[in-house]
Amino acid sequence: MMGRVGRALLLHEFAERTRDRWVLVISVLFALLAWSVGLYGRNAETDVARLTGPSLVTLASLFVPLVALVLSHDAIVGERERNTLGLLLSLPVRRYEVVVAKLVGRSLALGLAVALGLGGAMALSESSGRSALVALFVPTLLLGLAFLSLGMLVSSCTRRQVTAASIVVVVWFGLAFFYDLGLLGVLVATDGGLSQTALSALVVANPAGLYRVEMMQVFAGPEVLADLGVTTGLPSSALVASLWTAWLVGPAAISALLLSRRRVV
Amino acid sequence: MRSLAARGVSVALGAIRALDDVSLEVRAGRATMLVGPNGAGKSTLIKVLLGLVRPDFASFELDGERVAIDNEWKARIGYLPEAVAFSENLTGQQLLRFFGRARGVTRAREQAVLDRVGLVAAGRRAIRGYSRGMRQRLGLGVAILSKPDLLVLDEPTSGLDQQGLSVLWSLLDEWRETERMVLVSTHDLALMERHVDEICVLQEGRVRAHGSSEDLRRAADLPHRIWFDIGESDDEASRTRVRLLCEAMEKWGRGRIERRDGRILVEVGSDDVLELVGIQAGFPGVVRGMRVEEPTLDVVYDRLLGAA
Repeated sequence: MMGRVGRALLLHEFAERTRDRWVLVISVLFALLAWSVGLYGRNAETDVARLTGPSLVTLASLFVPLVALVLSHDAIVGERERNTLGLLLSLPVRRYEVVVAKLVGRSLALGLAVALGLGGAMALSESSGRSALVALFVPTLLLGLAFLSLGMLVSSCTRRQVTAASIVVVVWFGLAFFYDLGLLGVLVATDGGLSQTALSALVVANPAGLYRVEMMQVFAGPEVLADLGVTTGLPSSALVASLWTAWLVGPAAISALLLSRRRVV
Repeated sequence: MRSLAARGVSVALGAIRALDDVSLEVRAGRATMLVGPNGAGKSTLIKVLLGLVRPDFASFELDGERVAIDNEWKARIGYLPEAVAFSENLTGQQLLRFFGRARGVTRAREQAVLDRVGLVAAGRRAIRGYSRGMRQRLGLGVAILSKPDLLVLDEPTSGLDQQGLSVLWSLLDEWRETERMVLVSTHDLALMERHVDEICVLQEGRVRAHGSSEDLRRAADLPHRIWFDIGESDDEASRTRVRLLCEAMEKWGRGRIERRDGRILVEVGSDDVLELVGIQAGFPGVVRGMRVEEPTLDVVYDRLLGAA
């Protein structure tokens, strides 16, 4: 349960993000990028959703994690650096509530930015491209929330905002950019010795990978994935749900635990 | 709430004993000042009281009954941290709205607080445009928002101009007059002295001295300086009377006597001041004026910490 302070903080976090035009900037940027991808699909004389969908997935899998990490990296460490964390925790509130309120408040801001971004792109797109944007919404939101949760963890572990910013850049490069390359490297190094099951498990262990595979299955279909050599399907819906839950809840829970156990604030 | 006490507070941070068996009691209608050099443990003690530092050992009492530091305890305390930097994008009003919601106070109270700290005109402006003193006054506003039983202020004079200091003094007076409590940590001893009732001197995590400013002056055992204005006179009879007064004081033998530019300076202990005044009264017409200088609190502090 969240008390009065937690609720006030949640509202404050959301209001502050919308007030400083952060949501607006991200929404417009996302809408324009998504619309640009849609334009490319429209020019090609083929199934728009099938062509633009994967491009939108690639765009979202790079853009949304970066936005989420930027949004969350200063949540705790920023307060600490401004000397307001002590003031916040001197209010009648449990420490975990502060993490939850900040996470939920910023999640709402991110959700609004993604919704406005995709909505804007839909408004600009022709009707044939809109189905791809609709299909993208919930998984993209989940992807964003997973990285938001990771950003909260980084923010709780660090003592300086600049350190947190550096770490989230490394996290973004690592998970959104280099993770797949790393797996490729492992495959080469083991001369293909890694089993298909192990490879699939490693791909979906990364939230960006899970998102890409899930969305590719939606847009391209299992047969295209099979053509590409992916012979094992996605994990079951239950496992996918568990993986998303773990990424959403896990880092935030560790973050709350770290703050709660910290002896000196 | 009549009193709040922390007893036997001990905090070890790694190899450093930040606080070693420190006890402190704050009483209704009184303001207590925490002083000490950097690293003495002032902020740590405040943070222990606010639940921001978990001590190795401590017990807390509210009106004599043992309590734990929980949300009920924290709801009674208003806090101004040292060098606080609020979010620059917010306006003063928006910041108070957040803390107002968190504390469950009305908008009317928020407005009254803005007025109290002299920020009504600036309330709609972003904090980024505030001066240092205005930010500090806003912090004071946040601290007093819920009319807490205990006001905890960490370096409250920092950055305040005369207008800000007037706001601070009136708040301290209001809290004392309404039988609430104040705990102030500061380096501005001379500035704060007239507005506090008790002083607790911390050094290396221990209480070095505790009491009123008079208690501390007594403990420091520093002389008072008494200046007797005798004027310059060519009159032989007057010079003789002055000489006799000086001889009487020297014969008394309790203080250091010195003649300087038509004045006599005597340095004596606080207990001897009245007796000295009595001696000069025995020589009517010699002394035209008298000024008693107490040792300043800065000097007392230095003496207590062994620097003087």
